[in-house]
Amino acid sequence: MKKSLIISLLCSLAATLPALAETPADLTDLQMAHVGYVADNLDIQYGHLALALSTTPAVREFATTMISDHSAVNDQALALLAKLGAQPEDNFLSQALNAGGVELVNKFSALRGAEFDLAYAENEVAYHKAVIGIVENDFIPNIENAELKALYTQGLVIFKEHLTHAEAMLAAVK
Amino acid sequence: MTTGISRRAALMLAVLSPTLLAGRGWAGSVVHDVAMTGLTFDPALLKVAVGDTVRWTNADFVPHTATANDQTWTTGTLKQGETGEMVITAKTSLDYACDFHPHMEGKLLIEG
Repeated sequence: MKKSLIISLLCSLAATLPALAETPADLTDLQMAHVGYVADNLDIQYGHLALALSTTPAVREFATTMISDHSAVNDQALALLAKLGAQPEDNFLSQALNAGGVELVNKFSALRGAEFDLAYAENEVAYHKAVIGIVENDFIPNIENAELKALYTQGLVIFKEHLTHAEAMLAAVK
Repeated sequence: MTTGISRRAALMLAVLSPTLLAGRGWAGSVVHDVAMTGLTFDPALLKVAVGDTVRWTNADFVPHTATANDQTWTTGTLKQGETGEMVITAKTSLDYACDFHPHMEGKLLIEG
């Protein structure tokens, strides 16, 4: 009964608020879930690019962890959405992330050697700082579904470790 | 010919094969549980004795390993809910970390 109520609430929010979302904090739960999925997929994509283009152990190790961890986060998110019978919803932030991702992949693809390593490492530091800021300040305080909030809270711990790891990688390739 | 890789593989096999260890019946030995949770080892510092077993269980949804800093032993990759065990010997390397999350560190302390 309670689950049905949550699903109904999520559905009604998704139906009424999309057009109003102008900042990350305005997004609905289903839109925040979509942002997380897109952000994870982008970092997985960058990781695959790093494995294809870099021979530097610190970069390859980091990229392997990003692919593994962000895939695990997405698996958890998809399992939760399936349990709730809900679909993630596209939104302005997901679209901006995707557009930026296309540009970055094009940029990274043209780089080789130390230039690639530095660009990848710098982006991973900046990317995780941005993700942590949005998740911590905009998403977690505003997520209504308790399970999604718990998932993002667990994700935040992982993303903060990634940032520490990324900073170490950046120091290694500089 | 024995290579570094085959030695490592043999060590992994020993660590990853709980059935080889089951019913070992080492008198006085203790099984110590270490949780991999929130990207930490809990407890991070564990006092053990030679002959004891350390059992790591991954409670996180991201994969982890417990791997000696000198690479002499590893649990291999443990997904959520999976367990890896190792019997402590006098030669066991004591400092370890997760291969995927290098700031996730643990230490064994042999007593007695």
